[in-house]
Amino acid sequence: MGSEILFFFEVVVGGLLAGTMYSLVALGFVLIYKASATFNFAQGAMVFFAVLSFVGFMELGLPFFLAFIVTIGLMVIVGLSTERLVIRPLMNQSEDTLLMATIGLGYVLEGLAQAAWGVEVRRLDLGIPDFPIMFIADAIGIFISALDLTAGAVAAFMVISLAVLFTQTKIGLGLRAVADDPGAASSIGIPLKHIMLLVWSAAGVVALVAGCLWGARAGVQFALVDLALKALPVLIIGGFSSIPGAIVGGLIIGSTEKVLEVYIGPFFGGAIEGWAPYVLAVFFLLKRPEGLFGEKIIRRV
Amino acid sequence: MSEQNNSENILEIKNIEVVYDDVILAISDVSLDVPKGSIVALLGGNGAGKSTTLKSVSTMLASERGKVTKGSITYNGQQVEKLNPSDMVNLGLVQVLEGRRCFGHLTVEENVISGAYTRKLSKSEIKSELERMYSYFPRLKERRKSQAGFTSGGEQQMIAVARAMMAKPKMLLLDEPSMGLAPQLVEEIFNIVKELNEKEGVSILLAEQNTNIALRNSDYGYIIETGQVMLDGSAKSLLNDDKVKEFYLGISSEGRKNFRDVLKESKKNKGLQT
Repeated sequence: MGSEILFFFEVVVGGLLAGTMYSLVALGFVLIYKASATFNFAQGAMVFFAVLSFVGFMELGLPFFLAFIVTIGLMVIVGLSTERLVIRPLMNQSEDTLLMATIGLGYVLEGLAQAAWGVEVRRLDLGIPDFPIMFIADAIGIFISALDLTAGAVAAFMVISLAVLFTQTKIGLGLRAVADDPGAASSIGIPLKHIMLLVWSAAGVVALVAGCLWGARAGVQFALVDLALKALPVLIIGGFSSIPGAIVGGLIIGSTEKVLEVYIGPFFGGAIEGWAPYVLAVFFLLKRPEGLFGEKIIRRV
Repeated sequence: MSEQNNSENILEIKNIEVVYDDVILAISDVSLDVPKGSIVALLGGNGAGKSTTLKSVSTMLASERGKVTKGSITYNGQQVEKLNPSDMVNLGLVQVLEGRRCFGHLTVEENVISGAYTRKLSKSEIKSELERMYSYFPRLKERRKSQAGFTSGGEQQMIAVARAMMAKPKMLLLDEPSMGLAPQLVEEIFNIVKELNEKEGVSILLAEQNTNIALRNSDYGYIIETGQVMLDGSAKSLLNDDKVKEFYLGISSEGRKNFRDVLKESKKNKGLQT
């Protein structure tokens, strides 16, 4: 009896911590969504591009930290060119146009990454073992992976910094203003160019961090692109425009999918992790389309 | 508004033509001057070209695929054609867009503060600027923590004007401040605009369909129709002009007609006397 409850907690905690990795990917989506009200389909490709380049630079002999810095620089360049070549020309078009453009951008990034670094799966060693931490296991009998715990800490750090950026700084205010009404923001002199540049670069850095954690767990490979799309149900549940929503959504998805997999999975022949989150998302779409923390659509009548 | 005291004009528009999407002619010939420190009204019906004129000045045309194809616009001694909206704000010219356009998800206070984006102010300076704006718009202070999207139309218009004033503009372009508001509120907003003009010394060019209230609160007026200036004169003279009275103020004996016809008729009868 006691060991069953412990096992349940272990599943939930493992799920919650794995969920923070979904949250990290979702954060990248939220950044772009906040500033341009569009779902950036290229976010998955950015994750893949970022981590593949990171590993690639290390293979070229760069030490860990230098490779990380160089990749951040690269992601800023990607953000810069995206703003200049894709976003700016489409600035006054409908949001659907921008959405389609991000799908295209995704393919371009995937192609570029593979053309530059090749297609084989690579290992990424962050020096954090993906094994249970023994002293926690000894103390309370729950097995928690050190990598999961690190992911949770990193996610928490990113969330706090982004929340501060959005709510406490001038540029954050500008960013939210642009998200609400780009025309009005421009009429009071907020430079859309700078805001877009900032957002795409920040999304690039978030993609790199998420990519490192996922890459360390699942290998640096093309499947990361699809994995990143798990952020979609996360965002539907949490709300597209909310940073806390991305976190809570990730936690909900991570824990429920693990619990469902372990306890209900066997009845379906296993592997329900893959689709269960989407079922959950559909429920949310029916009951609360703006998500848990999403901004209610304000329409005066 | 004669040519000789050029330096007294903060804004001079000379014979501009504006085309949208390379084919749609929105303005064929508009010229107007705004003397420093004055309020000038730009009057006319829907589609007359009022908003387009204002947007050509604030250089916000480009984002709607419009272009000034002829003529020139000089603001504070500087040609505006190569500038962007952000430059214009930095030079002290801010437009309050038609339909108010508040940031609905931001609070009232955040909306107002966002107007100071281009200024390098410390937190305490922003606070004192904010208080100064609240002294003009006490109603906004009461609602400072509400989401702007949930405030009334009149409050949103106040937010939009206060937000623009936070940039400390030398000149304000107001596009239809009376739109969709109850008469008392329109009166209240125009009073504040007038107060801002007097106390802050900001020059104002306002586009209005509400001819009566606009002229009562302005120094000078231009009437435009189908992209051309039809008539201009001091606000007082326009208010007392029979043609304006007949067509725009609705004081007529023979029903509605086109303002162009009114002008033609009077030309036929006794010639234009403006």
